[in-house]
Amino acid sequence: MRFLVVDDSSTMRRIIINTLTKLGYKECHEAGNGREGFDKLATTPVDMVITDWNMPEMSGIEFIRAIRGNDATKTLPILMVTTNAAQDDIVEAMKAGVNNYVVKPFTPDTIKEKIEAALNAA
Amino acid sequence: MHVSEEVLTQLLSATEEVFETMVFKPVSRQDPIEDNSVRPPGNVVATVAFAGHRRGLVAFHSSLGTARTIAGAMLGMPAEAINGEMPDAIGEVANMIAGSFRTKLAALEPPSAIAIPTVTIGSDFSTKYLSQVNRVLCPFQMEDELIYIELILTGEPS
Repeated sequence: MRFLVVDDSSTMRRIIINTLTKLGYKECHEAGNGREGFDKLATTPVDMVITDWNMPEMSGIEFIRAIRGNDATKTLPILMVTTNAAQDDIVEAMKAGVNNYVVKPFTPDTIKEKIEAALNAA
Repeated sequence: MHVSEEVLTQLLSATEEVFETMVFKPVSRQDPIEDNSVRPPGNVVATVAFAGHRRGLVAFHSSLGTARTIAGAMLGMPAEAINGEMPDAIGEVANMIAGSFRTKLAALEPPSAIAIPTVTIGSDFSTKYLSQVNRVLCPFQMEDELIYIELILTGEPS
């Protein structure tokens, strides 16, 4: 299974990729914001996107809307990983089109459960 | 000036969670300090401001060596190999503590929003607050090292 991890924090990208590797997912691509991530999707096919919310240039919400608005990517499973955990935040992300939502800090077990749930929901 | 026990409990709990799950180095809480004259030692300060129902900031303080240890633990690298990665890692620690603190408080009261983290690295600097604030400094033991989480609240909740 192939992932695209999008976060402006290189530390958080590394933590997520290390977590995915430990879970047995070896093919992970990365991008530093939504714009970079959307451009990467045009050339790098993946099976799931994991994205942050607050990023420069193109936020996670804008990125998700761009994915859902593109015929080639509109059904791609998307997991959002963020510190934005208020009920209103989750509703906004779900409306934008995320399949599931992880609040930082998280454990590897949580990531595993949410990936499976996002795949089932897609 | 006083920070309520309920608010302090959320901050302590948020800090412990972040270190246990994301830094992979559990911390143990020490007695919080409410003396405004006490300044935490250290060369690395990461702050995240928040506004909304409450206004203020959460700040992380540590020595340079401790900050490198934390960054190394997060990235799965030896501390000696850490250099340019440290500010981003420490900013993310502060971001997660502030975010988790904000989420815990939002379960009890109207929410606040957090800003992006700012990291300052250097020596011979201090912070001065330009208005009356409620402040608490929370030391945590991480192995043989101390880190400090500071909470500043200004004004009354809206």
